[in-house]
Amino acid sequence: MKKGPTRREFGSGLALAGAMGLGFRPALAQTKEVRVAMIAPLSGPWARQGQLMRMGADMAIEEINQKGGVRALGGAKMVLVVADAGDSTEKAKNAAQRLLAQDPDLVGGTGAWLSSFTLAVTEVTERAQLPMLTLSYSDLITGRGFKYVFQTSPTAGHQAAETLPTALKLAESATGKRPKTVGILMDNTASPTSFAKPLREGGLEKLGLKLVVDQVFTPPLSDATPLIEKVRTARPDFLLLLLSAMPDNKLVLEKLDEFKLSKGRLPLVGNGSPLGTPELKDTIGADLLEGLLFSVADWPFKGDEEIVERFKKRTGEPWMTQDGITAYGDMWILKEAAERAGAADRAKVTEALRALDLTSGPVALSFPGPVRFDENGRRVDVPMIFAQWQNGVPVTVFPPELALARPYWIKEA
Amino acid sequence: MELPPFLAEFLQALAAGVTVGGAYALMCIGLGIIFGSMRVINFAQGDFLMLGMYVAFYLTTGYGILSFLGPYGGPIVAAFLAGPVVFAAGWLVHRFIVSRVTGAGVAASEGAGAYGQIIVTLGLSLILQNGGLILFGSTPTAIRTPLSRSSWEIGPILLNQARVVSFLVAVALVVAVYLFLARTRAGKSLRAAADNSTAAIYMGIDVDRAHRIAWSLGVGITAVAGGLLAGSQSFQPYVGFDFVIVMYAGVVLGGLGSILGAFWGGLLIGVVQQMSTLVLPYQLQNTAIFVVFLLIIFLRPQGLFGQITERT
Amino acid sequence: MRASVETKRQVWAILAVALVVLGVSLGMQSAYYQLVLTQVLLWAVLSLAWNILSGYSGYFSFGHAVFWGLGAYTVALGMIYLDLPPWLGIPLGGVIGGIAGAVIGYPTFRLRGHYFALAMLAYPLATLYVFQWLGYQEISLPMKRQAPVLYMQFADPRAYVVLALGLLVIALAISLRVENSRFGMALLAIKQNEPAAEAAGIDTWRWKMRAIMLSGALAGMAGGLYAVVLLVVTPESVFGMLVSAQPLILALFGGVGSLWGPVIGAAVLVPLAEGLNGELGDVLPGIQGVVYGVAIIAIILCAPEGVYWRLRDRFTKPRPAGIASAEPAPSMPLSATAPAARLEESGELLVLRDIRISFGGLRALDGIDLIVREGSLHGIIGPNGAGKTTLFNVVNGFLTPDKGRISFGGASLAGLRPNQVCRRGIGRTFQVVRAFPRMSVLENVIVGAFVGARDHVTAERMARTALDRVGLADRAAAIAGGLTTRELRLMELARALAPLPRLLLLDETLAGLGHEDLAGILGVIRQVREEGVTVLIIEHTMQAMVQLVDEFSVLDHGRLIAGGRPEDVVRDRRVIEAYLGRRWMDRVAETAA
Repeated sequence: MKKGPTRREFGSGLALAGAMGLGFRPALAQTKEVRVAMIAPLSGPWARQGQLMRMGADMAIEEINQKGGVRALGGAKMVLVVADAGDSTEKAKNAAQRLLAQDPDLVGGTGAWLSSFTLAVTEVTERAQLPMLTLSYSDLITGRGFKYVFQTSPTAGHQAAETLPTALKLAESATGKRPKTVGILMDNTASPTSFAKPLREGGLEKLGLKLVVDQVFTPPLSDATPLIEKVRTARPDFLLLLLSAMPDNKLVLEKLDEFKLSKGRLPLVGNGSPLGTPELKDTIGADLLEGLLFSVADWPFKGDEEIVERFKKRTGEPWMTQDGITAYGDMWILKEAAERAGAADRAKVTEALRALDLTSGPVALSFPGPVRFDENGRRVDVPMIFAQWQNGVPVTVFPPELALARPYWIKEA
Repeated sequence: MELPPFLAEFLQALAAGVTVGGAYALMCIGLGIIFGSMRVINFAQGDFLMLGMYVAFYLTTGYGILSFLGPYGGPIVAAFLAGPVVFAAGWLVHRFIVSRVTGAGVAASEGAGAYGQIIVTLGLSLILQNGGLILFGSTPTAIRTPLSRSSWEIGPILLNQARVVSFLVAVALVVAVYLFLARTRAGKSLRAAADNSTAAIYMGIDVDRAHRIAWSLGVGITAVAGGLLAGSQSFQPYVGFDFVIVMYAGVVLGGLGSILGAFWGGLLIGVVQQMSTLVLPYQLQNTAIFVVFLLIIFLRPQGLFGQITERT
Repeated sequence: MRASVETKRQVWAILAVALVVLGVSLGMQSAYYQLVLTQVLLWAVLSLAWNILSGYSGYFSFGHAVFWGLGAYTVALGMIYLDLPPWLGIPLGGVIGGIAGAVIGYPTFRLRGHYFALAMLAYPLATLYVFQWLGYQEISLPMKRQAPVLYMQFADPRAYVVLALGLLVIALAISLRVENSRFGMALLAIKQNEPAAEAAGIDTWRWKMRAIMLSGALAGMAGGLYAVVLLVVTPESVFGMLVSAQPLILALFGGVGSLWGPVIGAAVLVPLAEGLNGELGDVLPGIQGVVYGVAIIAIILCAPEGVYWRLRDRFTKPRPAGIASAEPAPSMPLSATAPAARLEESGELLVLRDIRISFGGLRALDGIDLIVREGSLHGIIGPNGAGKTTLFNVVNGFLTPDKGRISFGGASLAGLRPNQVCRRGIGRTFQVVRAFPRMSVLENVIVGAFVGARDHVTAERMARTALDRVGLADRAAAIAGGLTTRELRLMELARALAPLPRLLLLDETLAGLGHEDLAGILGVIRQVREEGVTVLIIEHTMQAMVQLVDEFSVLDHGRLIAGGRPEDVVRDRRVIEAYLGRRWMDRVAETAA
């Protein structure tokens, strides 16, 4: 730090030192381990997401250690410490606090999938000056003026600004016509809300789109009939699907089919990784999903084939989703930061993270675009990835340099 | 036939409400039997619903035991079979745990029973949800059947087949339960025990056994509702939560102690839930249920079919 | 109030616990343990708040999350939009919680038992959806680096422990005060027997409202501090079902209706759950929930009313629940408080004109005209179902007649609630004795005396006097649940007499008594009348009544078919036809002959 520590920082430093017996380790100490944390829901309604993250992270840790660990620290092994964020913000906060209290050697971490959990967890890690990576989309996470939070996903607002123009271009090149009307179907959780807000406040107008049906529901949805009835009546040129839970996806997509709006009659553009999960295919079948286009912060793209194959073999999962690949990438990011920091030290690792600019290597393979963060911890220059269900697998189709298949705008047969 | 949009929406919402209400009605009947006979607020009712979903799932998509019945018949039969399976589970639960805090013997000791019931059913709920996580995993799952996305058409109105089937099954089961309670000996002893357990004991009725039947029947019927829902929506071990308030609202709406009331109450809740979207923002769908719930409690606490029994 | 010795002991206990907590907190190094300790304290406060309403009064609330959540959002939104420091936000949350208590209590207290509990369940869940709809799915308290203390953002987690401890001490002090006062006694009476409490003059409505407002205010403040500690508020985390269930579980586990129960519950269960999460959460996800569920079931099967009561029953001699003092106060001399001597010229004390009431299609009372003279002993007789108890319920205020007028001592009783009727000077016993079974005989009677007494000492004296009058003074310390039928009847009589009523309504006081007991009670009733109290008594055994009363009214199918002096009434043809039967007529004819 250039200025002397503020009273508050001094105070928290003291508290840290007093409470955890450790604050600033001399850099030259022989470290055998670089310890990083993952705080994710492993029990409760979001347990599946946490488990996928864990799988990705475990694979990365194994690779890192097989390839020699953190070389700058004499081949120190990376160790992942996992804590269960459970099913409530209280449990998530407790998990973070517990981890920090019981493991004072942590130098970085990732978590906590659900944006409200991430908010709670980062309140703890910020005060402990532990740098945290997160895939949560919510704008608020990096809008608090925190110094130790690094958001690997573009914010929902940014995603909204990127998603629509691309979708429109795709539609135009496929059908020759630019869509004029749009519908929004979303739940009221944080990510869809931040995604839709700028759109409603002029974003759609700027693109020449009229919003003809706009429905927000509280998850979990009991029945999609009145929703889809309204969509059917309004007949938009395409529908924006902003759903964050698989059960709601199933109800909506099946109801669209029932109302004969599927299979091209109503093009769908979605956002968010729940639209690409294997369980979605298991429950509603590949034929209903064919052609479903969705933008997502991260998805395996060109160049990742080997990573994906290894993941599939290791876990038995049919493909890798956002949760797996970002957790995988997070471990590599932390490894790179530790290398550059030259010490297993939180402050140095944080500095290293802030100075990162990676365009090659496993990190670049895990995230689209260069991995660098601005002073708020947000990534800059991130291209929006689009994935599309083709033949029962969601594959990256945009941007062209990352695509594994060509996108198509679903047309009525 | 072209209907003006509002009318089409209205009728469609009504149709959705009634068909969704069918499954609600069935689960309300299950709760109503327990609440009416034993005066127990069973917080774990939603989790027995969840059990029914998983039993039906494993019988069809999971292990394919009933796959010979095809994708239409299989899920329906599986739903029915979920009933006896959960009935048996409920029997054991009552015998070893619940009966220690409910029933005639407990009602006599002032207050103690009421407290115990609440904790025991809350504890049961925790065990079932988390045990479910351990056994079934966290991935949301559902029964694969074309029923969930096919519908019968009446003009512009679409009636989802899976929902209609659950509605018909619900009606059939209501009749069956009604006959059971009215005509059979076991059913009559259940009603007597519900009305006045002390007197029932003096009449030689084994109240404990009657309660066990009521409990097991109640969770079993709710499990069948779960099995029917499993074909329409996906679920995970914590899904029970979402239905607890629907069940209680339906039972109170219909009137405590009335099976017919529970049926109509559940149906009405479904209708309110779906039709509220016509006038309220979709997000307040469930708030509408609560508002109706509270209105009924205040204006007519005995519900549509219940009776006031308090005497000075 | 409760013997000051007992109160002092509790106060010392509270201070001791506070010191222990402080000591533990100072000694602990880990910020994690401090956080858990803070949560233990906060949940204990919520549980104590719940206990004030539900533990003491028996009105089980499954919806206390609504107060907690409103408090949390008050603090959070206040800080975000108004820059309101939590030092103001938390008390404001308390105020809002109290108002919410009033708003919710007003309609909901019309319900009882299960209905009340279920209605309470709906409030937080409905509010949850509203907050989501309003756009407050996730709000986080802004970090205030420049003025951390002003915004309760302490670097040292011990500060939060101290704040939460402060709230706990306040909650314990409030609970102690409630327990030891009229407030607590009223709630206890309501819990054990609400209609009896009402008829004995306790304004049940007002006490319940006070309880829910106090409970809501305390819960709101705790919720506000919770928001400060957690820094992130979501509708699910503060209005959810688990939040409503938590204070319940803690109180029921620890000992419902006791001062320390909620604290014990929080001290044991919160760390247990957190410990399970920590140790087992990632090993076998879900196992911690199973273990916790098994644990609470096991404990409640062993100690159905909670740990505290179980321990107390085991280690101390059973004492009656309630607040009677240890030493008996001298009973007051009768002459000092005897009501006005019986008037030579008896005026009309109770006048009923054309009282009608129907239930559904049934006309329970079909045009009753009745005059009860001051100082008389008036009997009402009639077969079962004639409407006798209904008549009393109408006089008493439990039922409102469809038509007709009632006046007492010249003033109308229309629209008065039972406790107000009691205050006017009408006492009542019930057909099925409505004792407060866990209180002592003396305490049962004190409940009745409170109507006429300003303070506990006077109430106790009036109670002892009443017990003397009925001849039950020797059983003053016995627990009501163990009394014989005769003793129960006498106790009820004493309770009705304690506030020195002008009119006493006795509902089948003689039913089911054997010959000796009957004679005893008849003697007491006569004595009471001698002392100037007007008595209106319902019976359906002619034998006893004939010996007792000055005047008779016969009720049949909701109508008065005869009235007058006993010897005239028993000869009345209509009475005989409707009620007595031919045999009686023959016997009367024999004796006359």
